Amino acid sequence: MIDVQHLTKTYGSFKAVDDFSFRVRPGEVVGLIGPNGAGKTSTLRCLVGIQSPSAGTVTIGGHDIVKAPVEAKRLLAFMADEPQLFEYLTVMEHLRLTGRLYRVRDVESRAQQLLGELQLTGKEHALPAELSRGMKQKVAIACGLLHEPKALLFDEPLTGLDPLGIRHMKETIVARGRSGAAVIVSSHLLHMVEEICTRIVIIDHGKKVADATLDELKAHPELAAAGSSLEQIFLAATAGEP
Amino acid sequence: MVGAFLYLTACSFKNRLRRRLRRLREPRYVIGLLVGLAYFYVVFFRRSARRHAPAEVPAIAAVAAPLQFLASLFLMGTAVIAWLWPAGRPPLPFTRADVQFLFTAPVTRRQLVHFMLWRSQIAILFGSAIATFFMRPGSLAGGWTLMAGLWIVLMTVRLHLIGVALRRLSLVAHGASGLTRQWLPLSVVLGGTGVILATLVRAWPALGAMTGGREVLAEVQRLAGEGAAAVVFWPFMALVRLPTAASTGAFLAALPAALALLALNYVWVLQSDAAFEEASADHAERQASRRQGPRAAVKGASATPFTLAPDGRPEAAILWKNLILVGRYVSWRTALRLLPLVVLLGVVAWANVSGGVAAFAGALALPLAAIAVLLGPQMLRNDLRQDLARLPLLKTWPMSGAALIRGQVLAPTVVVTAVAWLLLLTGVILGGGLRPGSREAMVLGTHRLPFLAAAFLLAPAIILSQVVVQNGLAVLFPGWVAIGASRARGIDAMGQRMLLLAGMLLALVVSLVPGVVAAGAVAFLAYQVTGAILILLPAIIVALVVAGECWLAIEGLGRVLDRTDPSAVEAVE
Repeated sequence: MIDVQHLTKTYGSFKAVDDFSFRVRPGEVVGLIGPNGAGKTSTLRCLVGIQSPSAGTVTIGGHDIVKAPVEAKRLLAFMADEPQLFEYLTVMEHLRLTGRLYRVRDVESRAQQLLGELQLTGKEHALPAELSRGMKQKVAIACGLLHEPKALLFDEPLTGLDPLGIRHMKETIVARGRSGAAVIVSSHLLHMVEEICTRIVIIDHGKKVADATLDELKAHPELAAAGSSLEQIFLAATAGEP
Repeated sequence: MVGAFLYLTACSFKNRLRRRLRRLREPRYVIGLLVGLAYFYVVFFRRSARRHAPAEVPAIAAVAAPLQFLASLFLMGTAVIAWLWPAGRPPLPFTRADVQFLFTAPVTRRQLVHFMLWRSQIAILFGSAIATFFMRPGSLAGGWTLMAGLWIVLMTVRLHLIGVALRRLSLVAHGASGLTRQWLPLSVVLGGTGVILATLVRAWPALGAMTGGREVLAEVQRLAGEGAAAVVFWPFMALVRLPTAASTGAFLAALPAALALLALNYVWVLQSDAAFEEASADHAERQASRRQGPRAAVKGASATPFTLAPDGRPEAAILWKNLILVGRYVSWRTALRLLPLVVLLGVVAWANVSGGVAAFAGALALPLAAIAVLLGPQMLRNDLRQDLARLPLLKTWPMSGAALIRGQVLAPTVVVTAVAWLLLLTGVILGGGLRPGSREAMVLGTHRLPFLAAAFLLAPAIILSQVVVQNGLAVLFPGWVAIGASRARGIDAMGQRMLLLAGMLLALVVSLVPGVVAAGAVAFLAYQVTGAILILLPAIIVALVVAGECWLAIEGLGRVLDRTDPSAVEAVE
């Protein structure tokens, strides 16, 4: 569903992403992890069409994000770490706008279902200023899930959520994976990645340093000595102290 | 603590200056700086050099008395308005960083006030220096006395406004008991206002009988210098005597009273018991979030302009969204900003027409329609000029750049067109304020409908053209155009804005040329063949050509937007 081949992104002379390739198949939940400045956000931004790759290709459901962006984006949902809402639109109006942009026919029923799932029932007519940081995050996620995307990209999805919200969010991500969507979760919360992801891609200095399931990583000859937790493996893979 | 505040103020100033100098590495800012400096040189320096040639300019002393009176009147008005009209911002507008670092630090409320006074010095000193530079009195002595005088006046006004705002906060916080706490300043304000009103009421018959403006001014000036009114005016006159002092001696003579007023206001501010922290923290948060969106706060979730169907072109969704924006931000305060212009046009219309209220409204409506067409697209910014700040989000939407721009330009075009049409209808129906029987009225009377139809067609075309140009500039030069609520400051940014305005006007003229040429050719041919003067057909041609140009321009701009990296849309200071 998500196919990244030789992705390179440069800013001037700085190479943020360097010949990065990976695939995410339907039903997979892939954790994209890496230290600060590793190239995660640049990768995600190239994947969703916010930025153009300097080289390489990104295809979503067979549609090249550069050559056929509209078709590719129709299959996508990107949940940024900082929810971007229009402060003059209510929660329901955000959903209606998104529904029209993504051609969702049953917006009202889908919206009500999502609002219930994300504990936003009763907030339909609230403006963003009346919502907490966590609720804004949930509104952004509801907008992202409205059109039942085939490929979902989460950038730090748990930021600002309360414990119950975190639990529901993890369940939502796993449920989307189980329903056949290709999911990428970028986060520094390694225990969450370890818990919900079926595969892990580690990026450092713009390059892929690992791409395997947790069990495969644990069995990796160079990483096995680091320990059995993802944190220990991550630190070893990115040349940190285990 | 003073050392820490001085350090923070100095570092902030130094780094802001360094940032502005650093951005001069970009050619657009260098060009902007050159244009800005050239503007200053031509408009102020050369003109003021001519104005202050000894033979041409009367000595400042000759105009000192009326100048002092008008300035004191202005200061008094400022003080009264400060009490009557609550300011939109707190008395001490701290930034979010100030709130985070200083409000949590072991710093007293009085020290915070001192910090804000320290910080305001840079702006007040700069303002005094710039004003001195523009006014350029003849001698060096006049220069320093003017600057020092202006500094004392501005500082006193600043302290007074802070004091008033703090008293207002205290009144709100303490309710009825606040009235007893603030009895002294309230008594002074009410007493002073009562004295001025009583003086005016007493003198009203005499003032009403006067015909000339100068005569009225002289009489009001005389009244302000007599009896109880003179006591009320004294503090304001004492202040304005400093910058308007004709000599060093006069300055030194006026200095003690002005310094006493400065000190009085300073003590008054420090004695305030108002808890300003909460209001300041709220303001800091609003300021920080304003960078992402429009300036004013959203009024509430009012009704939407129309029901958005789940199916259809995405442009309609953008139009729907941006119309909601207008509906939820436009307020009476927004409309009040246009009031001076309407009043001015009203006075002009009243003086030039006869025939009652209908003729007056007609005369007022047509110039307002022209203003709506020409200035509306610059004032109403519910398009990419707002949304470009959210470019990362917009780029995730499944629509092409061209479709996005088409959707964005619709809302301001629709709103401004509606306003222009309403004004045109009013103007034409009421006769445009033309005198019955005049040649213009005859022509308009005969061709009223074709003229109205032509204006109805041309107005949206001209509006659309300007909106497309404005959005095009935002796409092509995102660093030059104010995005969201942010505004770059400095001479270089001012020069950029002037260049953009010139570019916008040029683009508007260029966009009209092909249509006007084609329409002119058709009209000429028709006149040669039939002898008839066509009005509607040329307007249709111009409107169609402009609409076609806009379509092509949007297609091109859409491709640019598709390639635009959100990081190119920089946040300004």
